[in-house]
Amino acid sequence: MKDKLMTMRDECLDAIAQAGSEQTLEETRLKFLGKKGELTSILKLLGKLPPEERKETGMLANQVKNQLTEALEAREQALIAEKSVVDGEFDLTVPGVMPESGSLHPITQMCYDLNDAFHSMGFEVFSEDEITSELYGFDHLNFPPAHPARESMDTYWLEGSENETGAKRLCLRPHLTGASVRYLKEHGAPARFVYPGRVYRNENTDARHERAFFQYEALIVDRDFSFASGKLLVKTILDKVFGRDVDVRMRAGFFPFVEPGFEIDMKCLVCGGKGCRVCKHVGWIEVMPGGTPHPNVLKAASLDPLEWSGFYINVGLDRLVMMRTGVDDVRMFHSADLRFLSQFK
Amino acid sequence: MKFSYNWIREYVDLPAELSMKQLSYDLTMRTVEVEDTENLAEALDQVVIGVIKAVEPHPQADRLAVCKVDVGMPEQAVIVCGGINLAVDQKVAVALPGSMVRWHGEGEPVQVKKAKLRGVESYGMICASSEIGLKDLFPSIDEREIMDLSTFEAEAGTALAEVLLLDDQILEIDNKSMTNRPDLWGHYGIARELAAIYNKPLKPLPTAAVPDQIAGFPVEIDATDRCNRYIAAVYSGLKYEPSPYWLQLKLWKVGLRPINNLVDITNYVMLATGQPTHGFDKDHVDEKIIVRNARSGEKLEMLDSSKLNLSEDDLVICDVNKPMALAGIMGGKSDSILPETTEMILELAKFNPTTTRRSAQRHSMRTEAGVRNEKGVDAERMDQAIGVADQLIEELIPGAKLTAYEDCWPVHVTYPEIEVPLSFLNVRLGRELDFAAVEASLKPLGFEVKVSRRTETDTIFKVIVPSWRGTGDIDLPDDILEEVARMIGYENFDFIPPQIKLDKAIRQRNIETERAVKEYLAFRAGFQEIFTYPWIDDQYLEAAAIDPASCLKLATPPSPETSHLRSSLVPGMLEAIAKNLRYFDSMKIFELTQVFEPGTSNPSEAAETLPLMRRSLAAAVVGKDPVQVFREAKGVIELMPRIVQIEGLSFAQQEKPGWADQKVWLNIMAGDQVIGTLALLSVQTMHAADIRKTMAAVIELDLEKLEPLPSRENKYQPLPQLPLVEQDFSILVDRTVKWQEIEELISGMVKRCAFVEEYSGKQVPEDKKSVMFRVWLGSDTKTLTAEEIDAESQRILNKIRKKLGGEIRHG
Ligand SMILES: [Zn+2]
Repeated sequence: MKDKLMTMRDECLDAIAQAGSEQTLEETRLKFLGKKGELTSILKLLGKLPPEERKETGMLANQVKNQLTEALEAREQALIAEKSVVDGEFDLTVPGVMPESGSLHPITQMCYDLNDAFHSMGFEVFSEDEITSELYGFDHLNFPPAHPARESMDTYWLEGSENETGAKRLCLRPHLTGASVRYLKEHGAPARFVYPGRVYRNENTDARHERAFFQYEALIVDRDFSFASGKLLVKTILDKVFGRDVDVRMRAGFFPFVEPGFEIDMKCLVCGGKGCRVCKHVGWIEVMPGGTPHPNVLKAASLDPLEWSGFYINVGLDRLVMMRTGVDDVRMFHSADLRFLSQFK
Repeated sequence: MKFSYNWIREYVDLPAELSMKQLSYDLTMRTVEVEDTENLAEALDQVVIGVIKAVEPHPQADRLAVCKVDVGMPEQAVIVCGGINLAVDQKVAVALPGSMVRWHGEGEPVQVKKAKLRGVESYGMICASSEIGLKDLFPSIDEREIMDLSTFEAEAGTALAEVLLLDDQILEIDNKSMTNRPDLWGHYGIARELAAIYNKPLKPLPTAAVPDQIAGFPVEIDATDRCNRYIAAVYSGLKYEPSPYWLQLKLWKVGLRPINNLVDITNYVMLATGQPTHGFDKDHVDEKIIVRNARSGEKLEMLDSSKLNLSEDDLVICDVNKPMALAGIMGGKSDSILPETTEMILELAKFNPTTTRRSAQRHSMRTEAGVRNEKGVDAERMDQAIGVADQLIEELIPGAKLTAYEDCWPVHVTYPEIEVPLSFLNVRLGRELDFAAVEASLKPLGFEVKVSRRTETDTIFKVIVPSWRGTGDIDLPDDILEEVARMIGYENFDFIPPQIKLDKAIRQRNIETERAVKEYLAFRAGFQEIFTYPWIDDQYLEAAAIDPASCLKLATPPSPETSHLRSSLVPGMLEAIAKNLRYFDSMKIFELTQVFEPGTSNPSEAAETLPLMRRSLAAAVVGKDPVQVFREAKGVIELMPRIVQIEGLSFAQQEKPGWADQKVWLNIMAGDQVIGTLALLSVQTMHAADIRKTMAAVIELDLEKLEPLPSRENKYQPLPQLPLVEQDFSILVDRTVKWQEIEELISGMVKRCAFVEEYSGKQVPEDKKSVMFRVWLGSDTKTLTAEEIDAESQRILNKIRKKLGGEIRHG
């Protein structure tokens, strides 16, 4: 009898160990421990044993039952732990389902990046209308009366006003700088603000030239402001665009609305300043003009140039995006071509 | 513009150890951008003088010869050559193996190697001038002509660069960086800057010895507003011939082609001083020189053989009969220097820069003289120029003599004297300077600095501007500040962090709302932002049914069919859809920018009247199913106020725009004001815009009319304490029944109701539609029982049946 019990126990433990699924495990349980299972049929023989042996064998049978129950449970836990919610094969290489994704124009993206950086330093964002007058586009900005940019081969004058002068001669704005005078007139000084936008130039287009393109201008006006503080504006832009500290240098440059004026170069990121093809072996790349507002510009904005000074920078957004993304044709920006635009997320 | 370093050094002794790299850097940082420097000798490395010792026919090729050439090595070199002017004892340029040449003078330079030519090994090649970049200096008539250097004193094997005096560096300076510096358009001007930068003395230029008793020459300036000084110097005893090699070389090195001695002299003077000059053949000048405005209809054939039709806007140099030159730009063909010229009137003059520029532009004539004259050369520079010219003529043409001289100078210009407070310089430069430091910066550039007066706290300088910087370049204390700063060197100023006062946070709701709308459309609603041009193609203007007369126009548009400026973004949207349909059959795009209309606005001052301008939004949902695209676009507007945080929007039918479908259109309303439209494109519009086999729902919205909320408005609603029961209904109603009617009917009876879908077609009678919707039932006080829910549902259905005649399909 004891032998029978032990044999059954061993058989059952074997079967549990072999069970590869919850179903076979359940079959094993029924076969050995079920109501009509082997343990029951062995226990039925218990009554035929002498009393002293009956008690001993009964205890043994109980132990076996407990042992097997534990083994069953342990095996069941193990099987659950191994189990997947999915039957059969699952191809993990099938691509995900994309969230519906539109995107902002790459120029807008760049513009917002820069707005955020300047916002963090307390700059306002100002936006000027796209049609302006010769007064704000040129006169207020210290462009000499006969400056070539005033002519129709350079600027898009509006029909009907092209032969007027000053406030009566209207055009698509040729640059953003006129906006600075508008803002300063309205808000006074001290002031710090950026004014991004689209500007227009009447010229033939090719991969590097567009009739409509985007600029980003920032101006800070304060008392006793040295041009040596202007680097802040330059670095704010370049560090944001390139994601790291960029070396810059300011050198002599001429623009009517600044005095002194600068060409601002950044150290070539490709060669680190040693000189390479990208920087034409100079080690520096011209990125933007800048300078102190010309006294005549401050006067146009009703500010006393002896009291107020400041610093402008003006950067071409198209070119920044081209540098950051590798776009090689500036005309793509106005193409409205979704194959192009959808690449920028 | 190109500058020769050797030429510059005739005027200033620069530090011996100065490298080109350092010089380029210093000049770039302080004055003008040096774009490139080129060592002329380097390009001719391994090109040497050879002396031909024998010329024999090539055994295999009639047109080739086999030459034995002494190239200064122990053995004569055997060189195969196709030159047609080969001769024994001739000195030639030999490109030895390893040197760089351009085959037939074209393409990129390639390296010369030892090579077999039709079976005979050739040790390098005998060069034509074009093959080593010397074509303009040694012109050849036939391309197979080799350079004959027999006139040069040189041993065989000497480097060609050495023999030709090419040991020089050429500086290439960005013209754009010199536009405001007319003083720099000659070598003397650059020498002056370098003298100042390196603190070396600038050598004076020669002055002309004009005898007191010399005869005059009649010069008459009619247009003194366009010419305020004119010198006519008459030289006799001239001989027209090629210039000596050194002069040809000097011109050639900076990019000018040598022509003949007389013309070369005029060019030399210009390159040295920046003052353009011109020579007339005196025999062709009747009576006198007259500087006057051209007469309308006058014609002039120029030196380059172009024929000009002059107008009164042009200034011309004439005699009593005829125009002879377009002032300051180019001379006429028949009266300038000619081979028979023995007497020349040398012109030095100051012309109005704007007149010069406009004439050059009008006649498309860009010349070295014109480029300089349109910058504004100072009249005083002529004194230098005549000195240089006089000395050069004397040196070149032994019999030449200055026989008459006229200096007609009716209008003198005064140059600025500027008062500059020291405190101004110190504050703006962020450093402490004194008189000596300021003077040290300015004096080498030609400025005169004096102490004008002293106050208790300040010193006021008086700075007298030299003539060559006084033609518009320098007239304010700020200009003086720039001169001081650049001479100190911008790289020597450390960054000074600006001190900024913070008084309030920035809150610009208009700007923020625009960005919120864009980001909502792109990031939440899945639209792609596009940009289009503000000038719109007439085809799309017409397609959008916009009256061209309601648009502003450009005076000189990019093309005749794009002369109108947009008053709406819809035409641009149509074009974008049409173009993208080639690659996509569905899309969602938007543009947000300004549109323009006739009218008046005064953003900054009363004197300035601008047209009406406002920001507008256009968006399009393009796809096959009209119901789908319309509902999707509608949903975009319905959700927008919540996300963008603006006052609510609603819909109504009030004003249908021309591009909208006859049936499917809604105005977008802010209160009772129409601020936009949501509609399918009309059949007509799609036809006209070439939008085919698809449907487009377009949104147009006036962004200026959106009312930003002062702060985010999102109020908490307590969650229901008791569960709500969801019930779906499907009813069959007449096609004319609107969802809005159903919604209004039942909304009072339920906690919430929502449209699910609408269906017509199979199993639905012709005039009916099936509408499915969902309601949420519930009570605030108890949980509804199954019987109560059934009763509620029945009540709803009864009401629909009674009011709308609907039947239940299933519930
Ligand atoms: Zn580089």
